[in-house]
Order: sequence, then structure tokens, then C-alpha cells
Amino acid sequence: MRPFAYARAETEAAAIRAVSAGGPGTRFLAGGTTLYDLMKVGAEAPERLVDINALPGLASFDTGGRRELVFGAGARMSDVAADPRLVAEYPVLSDALWKAASQQLRNMASLGGNLLQRTRCAYFRGGEPFTCNKRAPGSGCAARDGIDRGHAVLGGSEACIATYPGDWAVALVALDAVVDVAGPNGARTIPMEALHREPGATPEVETSLARDEMILRIRVPATQLGRASTYHKIRDRESYAFALASAAVALRMEGEVVREARVALGGLATRPWRARDAERGLVGQRLTAEAARAAGDAALRGAQPGHHNSFRIELGARTVADALMIARQRA
Amino acid sequence: MSDTAYPDAPRIDAHDKVRGALRYAADEARPGMSHAALATATVARGTVLRIDLAAARAVPGVRLVLTHEELAGLKQPGFLMGGGYGFQSIQPVTSSRIAYRGQPIALVAADSPEAAAEGARLVRAEYASEPHQVTLDAPEVDIVAQADSPLPKPMFADVTAGEADTAYAAAAIRITAEFRHPPQHQNPIEMLSTVAEWRDGHLTVHEGTQNAEAIRHGLARQLGIEPARITVRSPSAGGGFGQKNSLQAHTVLAAEAARRLERPVKLVVSRAQIFHDSSFRPASRHRIRLGADAAGRMQALIHETDSQTSRHDFFPTQYTELSARLYGIASFRGRERLVRTDVQTPGYMRAPYEHPAAFAVECCVDELAYRLGQDPVALRLANDTTTDPITGQPYSSRHLAECLRRGAARFGWDRRSMEPGSMRAGDGSLIGWGVAIGAYKAATAAAIAKLRLSADGAVTFSVGGHEMGQGIRTAISAVLVRRLGVEPGRITLEIGSTGTTPQHLTAGSWGTATTIPAAEEACDTLLRALEALPSRPSPAERLRAAGRPHLEVEVSRCAPGQPDAVMGRLTSGLPAAIGPAYPGYVSFSHVAHFVEVRVEPATRRIRVPRVVSVADCGRVISPRTAASQLRGGVVWGIGAALREVSEVDPRYGGFLNADLAEYVLPVHADIGTIDVEFVDEPDPQLNGAGVKGLGEVAMVGVAPAIANAVHHATGRRLRELPIRVENLL
Repeated sequence: MRPFAYARAETEAAAIRAVSAGGPGTRFLAGGTTLYDLMKVGAEAPERLVDINALPGLASFDTGGRRELVFGAGARMSDVAADPRLVAEYPVLSDALWKAASQQLRNMASLGGNLLQRTRCAYFRGGEPFTCNKRAPGSGCAARDGIDRGHAVLGGSEACIATYPGDWAVALVALDAVVDVAGPNGARTIPMEALHREPGATPEVETSLARDEMILRIRVPATQLGRASTYHKIRDRESYAFALASAAVALRMEGEVVREARVALGGLATRPWRARDAERGLVGQRLTAEAARAAGDAALRGAQPGHHNSFRIELGARTVADALMIARQRA
Repeated sequence: MSDTAYPDAPRIDAHDKVRGALRYAADEARPGMSHAALATATVARGTVLRIDLAAARAVPGVRLVLTHEELAGLKQPGFLMGGGYGFQSIQPVTSSRIAYRGQPIALVAADSPEAAAEGARLVRAEYASEPHQVTLDAPEVDIVAQADSPLPKPMFADVTAGEADTAYAAAAIRITAEFRHPPQHQNPIEMLSTVAEWRDGHLTVHEGTQNAEAIRHGLARQLGIEPARITVRSPSAGGGFGQKNSLQAHTVLAAEAARRLERPVKLVVSRAQIFHDSSFRPASRHRIRLGADAAGRMQALIHETDSQTSRHDFFPTQYTELSARLYGIASFRGRERLVRTDVQTPGYMRAPYEHPAAFAVECCVDELAYRLGQDPVALRLANDTTTDPITGQPYSSRHLAECLRRGAARFGWDRRSMEPGSMRAGDGSLIGWGVAIGAYKAATAAAIAKLRLSADGAVTFSVGGHEMGQGIRTAISAVLVRRLGVEPGRITLEIGSTGTTPQHLTAGSWGTATTIPAAEEACDTLLRALEALPSRPSPAERLRAAGRPHLEVEVSRCAPGQPDAVMGRLTSGLPAAIGPAYPGYVSFSHVAHFVEVRVEPATRRIRVPRVVSVADCGRVISPRTAASQLRGGVVWGIGAALREVSEVDPRYGGFLNADLAEYVLPVHADIGTIDVEFVDEPDPQLNGAGVKGLGEVAMVGVAPAIANAVHHATGRRLRELPIRVENLL
């Protein structure tokens, strides 16, 4: 472990000032479940950490608003996952949190930090001797001709096929969430879908946040879609594993007919992946098994397999189809 | 003496375990102790040309950096299977040669673990790389027939009986198939960890191990000192599973660092490094040809294997020692080959040969049942035997049929419909029911035991044995409680630490069959000695009546058929075990596993909601820890069949998914009901206590039972492990 300086910020403004003034080696620290891990494997090497866990109000959340649900960036995943209103009215959000990581990690990890979790690509995490354009821009991508069973089939580039690993962001993208952020130049609001970037030629740039911008809260428009929703996650074991394929699905039904649909994919793409073609195809349709399967196919259209991951295209389509049928039962 | 069943009794260290009070090696702390970390090679094969230590030495708190330039004088440990003590023959950091990626190239010792790790990270090496091969299928890989290798014969000669090729060619029904097993790693929750401390020229090593005596004698060889100057302490290890069965590569490095620093040194090998710093289950492939007559009598079995070894050692295989004996098949031919790859030497991971061999054979037996249209349990019962087909000797006991019958009844096997895909759950999942059997040699090791009874009623017992969590302390206690009428709380067990009695390797499921008869014999001897004292209701009262403060006896036991000379091996830390063939008989433990799988209709996840396992391990001494071992073996089998693979990228060598997040072990949510039962019939021929082994046989046959259940659910024969969703989409 490399030595680093640690400071605890008391206010939002002080935290942002400290990170801004500290220069490129200064980072915000929330739950630490990702950052400390990456520091241990050498993928991150901050010089200074500014702990934001004590900021007043950052951990609060309110799921009772008539217009929107508000989640402080510092709220713990386990606390939010267990919120009874979320469980009853927005199962897609609750499921996405429950099915992530382990209980111990959920007890520590923050909602804002979870959004910024970095990929589990073994070549990225492993360091030497592997090449990785995220870790050392321009060095190459060992995953492209390597063990790519878990790598992205959507949104990859020549430079990078690393999968975005999170679940929570996928559910948020499906529900048109936004994130409020603050930086030295003031506050702004970013649509969830614009928070994460595809790798393109610069896979080391993963989000649209500036280094000294901090996520304050996540806001989700209140919607009837929440009730008929699910986060369906297929993985190599029943807990403590990243998705081979996952689908966040929410529906507004009139009888058998879909009036509105949201579909987002996890575990398959380089960022949380909204599948609008699949949504459009569902609207006005009776939700039969065939229609669900067609939506799954539409969601995976354009997917690019590598050497060992082509099965996840079919798996992804089936996951979407199953998720739609699970959500429908909750309508 | 074990003519009645033992009662259920709590695990004697359970309370300490759940309170975190049990101390493991890495819990040891000493004033002024340094912490060490390892720097490892990033190339798959080659030579270190230059090594730059400036940055490592500059880390505040770093006290010592050792490379091959300093440690060239250390002796090699010798390979466990070649008269030595190490899990492999080569000692890293004693030469510039790199045999595999992840091989240690330097040790950094510092005032804190963080500084040591940072120093290790900053060690920079330049290498001359050489071509490498790390998979069974690598182009031009060197494959050596074991029979032609320098490995000792007849132990590692090909197993044959009858004329298998002729019998197979003439068989009415012939099944042929190839099976593949990936490399897998034990991941005991206790890391490899050592605290080494020198005092007045005497070295004390604290390390969780299955073989304290090998560490002691191996270190003595490596350091060039007398074994009498070394003590190894391992009162409790946090899981072994074969990983800790010999001298590890890091131990001498910690000892040498402590000697040079003149202060204690703690070295905890990181989880990622453990994937490269200790042995593992090698990749293997198995070609099976099984011939039977039209009625289902198995007539011929041919089992040909290719198994990964390292380039520097021949890690021998004995897959066919098991496959030849699962049934009464008259004609058998085995052929085992080793594939030389650029890895650390693989080794004995739980049921090392028996689990892959049973996977191959038992899947074929299921296929035979379907070819014949016979019930898989009935087919197995019809091919049972009481005579070992290889030696012609009788089995000392074989209750396999009883395991199958009881298991079938407990499981409700008679409600199974034969047709694949014919059983469905309410949610549309396909239900599959599969069965398979397993066996494991009932081995025994030589032992010396000391038993001391004090007039205050306290009992101290020492014997060669290690507690890795399997429950050996609880089992030994049960015998002392029964024989001496002593309370469990008055018993002190001195096991796992050198100095009192030889601490022979505890492995191969011989722990109970070795220590329990020794405990029985020590009790017999003690009770006989007490006969000369005044008669009183309890042994301690007799001592007090005679005015004796204590009475101590020592017994020395060879296993049946072992020459007295084996005691020389025992006292010098070398393996001193025998089995399954004893004079006049052959001994195996047996098991039958019944598995239900459910396969999701669309996304094809495979769940294992319930398993029924019935084992024949002779007399059960400790019912509670035995049941736990059997359930644990089933969990291992589920992991091996459906989850675990150590991923290899041939371009880089080494293992890719070297952490507990990406090496997918089963978690609690993966495990359903595991219902276990024991035949609990003593095997008096093998030893007076009637005990055979359990820890390994528990796992054997679980994987094929799962694969057979998957076939029953889906109609698909899957012959490569692990079986995952992509195999069923």
C-alpha cells in the first residue's frame, strides 16, 4: 500500500475545496468498498483522500415524495434496500441493491460510490504483466484476445471491452433518474444515462464527472411504473457475484397490454445500458412470451461477441424476457 | 472396543471458534516483530536478468530485502513425492530461474505489513523470457507416460487386471467418452502464514499446517541445522484440504529473514499469491471405455488420463487406483500420463484423484444405465462386489450397497421417472435426480502416542495428528472420554506441534484411522498399568490411592503390514502411511450421493435444492463433526461441479481469477438441504476401533451425481466441469 493523506471533511463546500485544491491525486472517500480494494491491487493510487462520510444529510433518503424519490449519495446500500416503501412500490430499485455484493459490503457501501464502482476486468485489476488501456492508457487491451467470458458485448471499443459491474445504476437508468452533483463551479444535474461513458478511445475516462465534482444525491421521478418492476440478475452463484446478464424492467400495463415499458441491461455492456428499441417494441403489445422474447432480442441487437462470451447475448435476451414476465405479475 | 455407537457430542473447539478465541498462526504477535511480503515474477518462464531494489529499500520502515543473490546458499527442500519435504522440489528466491508466473523473486521485511507490501510492489525485475506452455492442449506440450517416468514402481505403475481391450472389443454394449476437469484451487479461509522466531539458536515456526514434522525436517535441510533446533507449532489450522500438506515455499524465507534481522518475522501470503505459491488441483482429461453385456454386467473398463504437472516435478497421479475398484469389473486397464507445464507443482486437493476419476466413470455408468434402460441404482447394485478386482483380495468391509439402498430410501428415489426431462416443478423448472457412488482408500499411518493421567484427574494425550477444522480433536476426545471416564474439559490434546510425538502428515483421510487406534491402545496400556494399583472407582482415584502424582504410557503403532523400519520415516518427517492394500485384504470407505437439481427453463441456472448422502466410513467416532465433514464434502462437490475453475490465459501463464470474488466458490445461498447418514458399521479387520476415513470420500461422486441429475433434467450429457449456464442455453 502506498502512503496517502487522509482528511475528514465537515461540510460539502470544504470537501469540494479540499479535493479541488488537492490536485489530481486527491479523491473523495465514501464507503471505501471500491476505492480501498482498488488501492490494494494497485489500480488506484491516490495521494490524498477526503472522507465525506460525516457530511450532514448526505446519508439521508426519502422514498415518500409525491413527485420524486430522493437518495442521499451517502446512504448505505443495505439501509435503502430494506426500505419498505421501496420494496413494495419500486422493487426494481430494492432488488438491484439486494442483489449486489454481500451483506457486509452493502452495509458499508454508499449509493453514490456504488455508481462509480469500477470494472472487475481481471486484466485491469491484475496490473503487470497485463496490458490495460484503463490502467495505462495506450498500453493495449489484454482482454480482447483473452479470457473475455465476463466482458461486454455492448458498447465496447478497440481500446476496451470492460463491463460496467454495477446493478443499482442499471435500475436507475431504467427509471430516468438524475444525479445532482456539486463542484468548485457550482451544482448541476446530470441524467443517470449521461453519467457513464462508453470507453471509445479513452477508456480511462469512465464518467462525465470532473474529478472534483461530488455526487450529492440521486433523484428518481415518482412513477406508477415502479410497482410492476424487477431487477433480474443472472450470475455464476446465488450471491456475491457480478451479473452475467441482468435486466431492470418496469411496466405500466392496461390489462394485458403494455402502455409504457422501461428496459435496461446490466453486466452486458460497458456502461448501464438503456434498451429503448426493446421498450418501443413493447408499447401497445399484449405481453406474451413471444413479445417478451422479441423485446429481449431487440435489447441485444447489435451485440458484438468476443471469444468466450457469445452465450451472454442469448442469455441477455432470455433474461430480459424473464424479467418482463416477472414484472408483469406485479402489475 | 467400538462395539457400540458413539453419542453425538459437541465439537470441543466450537465455542472458542465462534468467539474468535482460537488462535491461528497469523494471530501470533511478538515485540519488535517484522512483517514480510513477497514480490513475484511477472513472466511465465525465464530468467531474472536484473533486479532493482532501490525503490523498495527506500520505503520508510523497510528493513531487509532478500533476493536470490542473498539466498543462493539455501538448500532445496526436495519434493514430497521424491524423498523430500516440499510441495515442489524448487525453492523460489534461491536462483534466477523463473519456472512460473507468480513465483516469488524477493522478500521484503518491514516494520508494518503495509510497508512490506509496498516495498514488495516496488521491486523491479528485468527478465529474459522463454516460451511457455500452461495448458493440456498447448502446442507441442511434453506428455510423459507415468509408467516410463522416474516415479517409483509399482506404486505408480499402470493398474491392470484381465484383458481389458479384448473384453471391451467383445462387449455387447460399449460406452466411450472423454471428460475434462479444470485446474482448481483450495482456498482455506486461513491464509498461508508463518511467524518465525529465533531464540538462542532455536527456531520456532508458527504455521497452520497438516504436516508439522515435514516443516521441521524440511527447514532443517534447507537451513543446514539439526531438526532438534526447530519447533513447529500448529495447534489449529484454518482449513487444509491438501494445500498445507507439506513444506511451503514461503516458510524458509520467513525463517531466514528472522535469522538475519535477529527479530521475529511474520509472513502472510496474500490470497492472490496463494494461487501461485502453493499446490492446486491440476487440469486433467479422462478417456473412458466401458463395456458391458446385454444384461448390464460391466465387463471391461479402460481409463486413460492426462494430468497436468509442472516442468520441474512429476506430480504423480493415481486416478485408476479408484476407477478400477468402484465395481466388480474383471478386466481393467489404466494408463496415466503427465503433461509438463510451466506452473508451480500441483498437488493433493481434497479427493485429488478420486473426485475427477469418479466424475468420469460414474457419468459413463449412468450412460450405460440409459443405454440399457435400467434404473441407475439397480445397475450399480448389480455390479457391486466383495472382492477387490485388482488384487483378488477381499475388502475388509464394503457397505456400498447399504449406502445405495439407504440413500435411495431417504431420497425417495422410487418416485423418479426414468425419462430425461420428464419431471417438472411448479415454476416450470426441469427437475433432475441423479445418483453416483464414491470410494476412497482407507489408509493408515504409523503413530507414536503418549498418554498421561494425573492424580487430579487431568489427562494429557499426544499423538501425530493435525486439527484443520475436520474435528480430529473432538474425535480423539470422544475415545478418551469413553475409555477413561474423564470429562472433556479435563483433556489436553497435544497435537499439531512438534516436540512430544512425531507430527506425521494428516491427509489422505487417515487421521482418524491413525490416531483413534493409537488412543485406544494407549488407554489399554494405561488401564493395564493401573491394574497394579489399589482398586478404586476411577483411574484418578487409583493413582491417588497409590500416592502416585501421575502415570504416563507411550505406545508405538505400525499400520497393518508396515515394517518396523517405517518408524524411521515417521520420526524424520516423511510419509509413513499404507493402504488401501493390506496383507490379506483391501480397505476402502464408500459413499452414495443422491442429488436433485432444478434447471430454470429460460436462463438455465442450475440449483441444487437437496442432496442425500450415505457414507460407510467404519465406526463413526464423532457423529457431529463427521456429519459436518460429509456435508462439507458435498459442498465441495457442488463447487467443483458447478462453480470452480482457475482461469488460465495461455499468453501469460499463471492463474487469472486469483481472488475470492472471481474464483467462484459456493456461497450459503447456493447450498440447499444436505441430508447425511452413516452406515456406522465398524471395520474390525482394519483396526480395533473399526474406523476408516471420511474427509475425502465425502466429496467423491458428488460431481457425477450432479452431472447425471443435469442429464435427467435436460437430456444433455455434459462432460466438462464446471457445468455452467452456457452449457445449457
